[in-house]
Amino acid sequence: MLPVTGEGAETSEAEVAALVDSLAASGRQADLLDLLREDHAIYDQRGGAAVSRMRGWVLLALERGGITQDALLFVLEELESGLDPYPVAAAARALRAYAAPSEAFAPFLLQALTNMAGHDELLSFEAYGEYAVDSSATSPIREILITLAWVGPAAKSVLADLEALRDQPGVLSRRLRPDFERAVSAICRLDGKDDDNCCKLPEGLRHVFSWRSDSDASGSIAQTLFEDQTGARLTFPDIFHGRPTIVVFFYTRCDNLLKCSLTVTKLGRVQALLRGRDLSGTIGTAAITYDPGFDSPERLRSFGGRRGFRFDSNHRMLRAVDGMDTLRHHFRLGVNFTGSLVNRHRIEAYVLNAQGRVVCSFERLRWDEQELVDRAVAVSNEHESAAPMSPASHMCAPTPDHPNCSAALLRSLPSLALAFLPKCPICWAAYLSAFGLAGLESVARLPWIQPVLIGAILINVASAWLRGRGTGRMAGAYLAGLGALAIIGSRFGAPVAPLGLILTLAGSVLTALDRELRLPRVRTVGKE
Amino acid sequence: MSKKLGPRKRSRRAASKGATKATGRGYLSVMKSGKKSAAERTKAVSAVSPATADDSELASLMAVLTDKTAPIRVRLAALQSLGAARFASPAFASNQGDYIAALRKVVDDPDHELRQRVLGILAREKDGYAQNRLLEGLKNKDKALLPPEKALQLLGYDVHANAYPVAREIVQNPPNQQAKREALRLLAADAASAPMFEKILQDKNESSEIRQIGAAALHALKPDSLQAHARAIVMDPSESDDIKQTCLTALTQFGPPQIGEDKTLMDRVDQLSTRGSAKVQDSARELRAKYKR
Repeated sequence: MLPVTGEGAETSEAEVAALVDSLAASGRQADLLDLLREDHAIYDQRGGAAVSRMRGWVLLALERGGITQDALLFVLEELESGLDPYPVAAAARALRAYAAPSEAFAPFLLQALTNMAGHDELLSFEAYGEYAVDSSATSPIREILITLAWVGPAAKSVLADLEALRDQPGVLSRRLRPDFERAVSAICRLDGKDDDNCCKLPEGLRHVFSWRSDSDASGSIAQTLFEDQTGARLTFPDIFHGRPTIVVFFYTRCDNLLKCSLTVTKLGRVQALLRGRDLSGTIGTAAITYDPGFDSPERLRSFGGRRGFRFDSNHRMLRAVDGMDTLRHHFRLGVNFTGSLVNRHRIEAYVLNAQGRVVCSFERLRWDEQELVDRAVAVSNEHESAAPMSPASHMCAPTPDHPNCSAALLRSLPSLALAFLPKCPICWAAYLSAFGLAGLESVARLPWIQPVLIGAILINVASAWLRGRGTGRMAGAYLAGLGALAIIGSRFGAPVAPLGLILTLAGSVLTALDRELRLPRVRTVGKE
Repeated sequence: MSKKLGPRKRSRRAASKGATKATGRGYLSVMKSGKKSAAERTKAVSAVSPATADDSELASLMAVLTDKTAPIRVRLAALQSLGAARFASPAFASNQGDYIAALRKVVDDPDHELRQRVLGILAREKDGYAQNRLLEGLKNKDKALLPPEKALQLLGYDVHANAYPVAREIVQNPPNQQAKREALRLLAADAASAPMFEKILQDKNESSEIRQIGAAALHALKPDSLQAHARAIVMDPSESDDIKQTCLTALTQFGPPQIGEDKTLMDRVDQLSTRGSAKVQDSARELRAKYKR
C-alpha cells in the first residue's frame, strides 16, 4: 500500500514525485499503475495542471520498467483523448517501452498527432515539474513522431493520413521536419517480415469493455435523488427501474472537447440508433453530470440540446441533488475533484439492467455507439425473456463476446453423441438390443454418423479456442480439447469416454461463462 | 501613368519581387541589432506583416521579445506583432511551442507591463507554468509577479487552476479591497462557495459592490437562493438603495412567474415605485410592469 492517505493535497507534488521515483526504482509496476486510477487519493484537491504533471510523471516511470498489458490502456487513452501536452508526450514516449510495435497503435498515434497540432509545446522530462524554455527540448509532436518511427511498417495503415499532414499548415514546425521524415521513412521501410502479431489486438485493449456481476441497486443508491433537465426530482428507481438504460457521465465545464462534449454528442447518436430500431421506449438513456453543484437544470438542457440529445421521460440529463458520493461508489467512477469541481475523469459509459444494476461498462477509450446499443439490446432481450434477472443471468447475454450458455452447451452435444456410439462387440450388442426396442438400430449403423460427429467435435473445440483467444482465458478451450482427444481416443479402445464427456462439458460451460462467475469481482481496469 | 508590360517582363518583375522577400530581409537584422536605435528597431519589427509572417520572421520576433538587453518598447512591439501573427499567420501554429517557451522566458522580466501582458497570454492558454508562478506569488508575496488582484483575475481564465483555496484565504484576509473583489469573482464559479455568497449578500456591513458580486455569484450557483434572499432584501426597509435595486432587477429578470401573485411583495414594490431614490423607483416600476399588476 502506498503511503498516500487522506486528501491528495496534503501530500506535496514533490513528495508524490519522489514516491513515484522510488516505486519505479524498486520495479513496483503494479503500484505505479494504481497511481493512474483517477479516483486515487493523490489527485484529490489538486488543480488540473498538477494532475496532468503527476500522471505524466507516472507514465514516464512506467516506461522505465516496460509497458505491460495492463498499463497499455492508460497509455492509449492519453493518446486518444488527451489534450495536455505533457501527459500526451509522456504517453507517446511510454508506448515505445511496450514489448513490440503493433498496427493497433497507429490510429492512436495519428489521433494524438492531430490533437496536438497547434498545441505543441516544449517539454522537459529531466525532473518533475520542469517546464522547458530551450528550443532543443522535446515536445508531444516530436515524441509522437519518434514513436511512429518505432512502430515502423506496422503503421502503414496511417501513412496516407500522415503524409497529408506534411503540407498542412500549422502542424509541423521546421524543427520537427526531420523527425517527420524519419517517421515516414520508417513506416515505408520494407522489413520483409510478415509478423503474425502485427494485426493482433493487444491484450490491454480488451479491458475497455467489461461485464459486472457485483452491482447492487439497493441500499443508498436507491435513495439517491436526482434532478433532471426540467428541474423534476426523481429517485434512482423512478429513473432506472423497469427498462435497461445506457448511462454516461459528463460535466458542462469540461474543457476537453474529446471527452464530455463528445460523449454527450455520441449519446445523441445512440438515441438516433435506438429510434432507428424503434427501441426508444424500451431502452432509456441518461447523462449524469459529475458537477451537480454547478450544472443546473438549465445548463443541462442547454448543453444536451446543443449536442443533439433528445429529452423525454426515458431520456434525461441528470444531476444528483445530494452530491456524487453514492454515485461514485455505485458506478465505481473514474473521477476526482478539487472542491466540487472535477480535476480529472476518464471516459465511461454503462449499461444498467431493468433493476438499475450495472451490467457492463466501457472505460477509457472511445466507445462505439453501435456496440453500446447492441449491448443494451442484449440486456433488454434478456430482461424481456427472463424477468427478474438473477445476478449472474446477464452474463449469458448473447453477444459476440458473451455467447448464450445454452448455445455453448448445444455445441458439446456431438461429443456426447460420439462418446455414446458403440465401440466394441459388447457395446454393439447392448446398443442394438436397446435400439431394437426403440427401433433406432439403423441410426447407429449409418456410415456417415461418425465422421459428422467428429467434425462437430472439432468445431466445438475450435469455437472454444477462438472464444478463449478473444477473452484471453484459454482454460475452457484446453478442457474442451482434452475432452475431444479422450472421446476420439475412446474410439480406439481406451476406456476414457466418460472422462472425455466430463472434460468436454466442463470446457463448454467454462467457455460460455464469463470470468465474473469464477471471480468475486470483475477485473475493471484501474479499479482493482 | 503605368507602363504596360509584356508577359515576360511581368513574370521577371514578379520573380524579382519574390527575391526581395527572400533576400531583402534587412529588417530582420535591424530589429535584432543592438547598434540601431529603438525607433529603427521598432520600425523593423512593424515591417513584419502578421498575415504572411513565416518561420524565420516569427523566430526573429521571438528573439527580440526574449532579448533582455533590447529596449522595452521594441520588445513590446515584438510581442504585439507575435500576438497579431498568432491570429493571422498560417505558419504560426507550427511555431506555437517556441512561442510558449519564449513567453515563459520573460515572465520574470523586470518590466511590469511586459510581465503582465505575457502572463495574461499564458494564462489564457491555461499554461501550467504561469498558473504555478501566479499561485506561488499569491501564497508568498516575495515571489509575486503581479499584484494579487491581477493574479487572481488571470487565474480565473481556467476553472481547473486550483485557485479556489487561495482565493478563499484572500476573502478572509484581503491584502486590499480589489484583491477581495477579484477573489470573490473567481469563487463565483465554485459551487462550494454558495453558502459564503449567501452570507455576503445578507451582510449589511459589506460594501454594496461586494454584495452585488455576491448576488451575481448566487445567481450562477444557486438561483433559487438568490430569489429568496432578494425578496427578503426588497422587503427590508433598512437595506441600502444599491442593493435593493440589484435585488429588484434580479426578481424582474430571473424571478418565477408567480411573483405577481405574491401580494406582500407586490405591495412593497408599489411602495418602492413611488418612494426612495430614482433608481429604486425605476427598478420597482419595471418589476411591476413585467408582472402586470
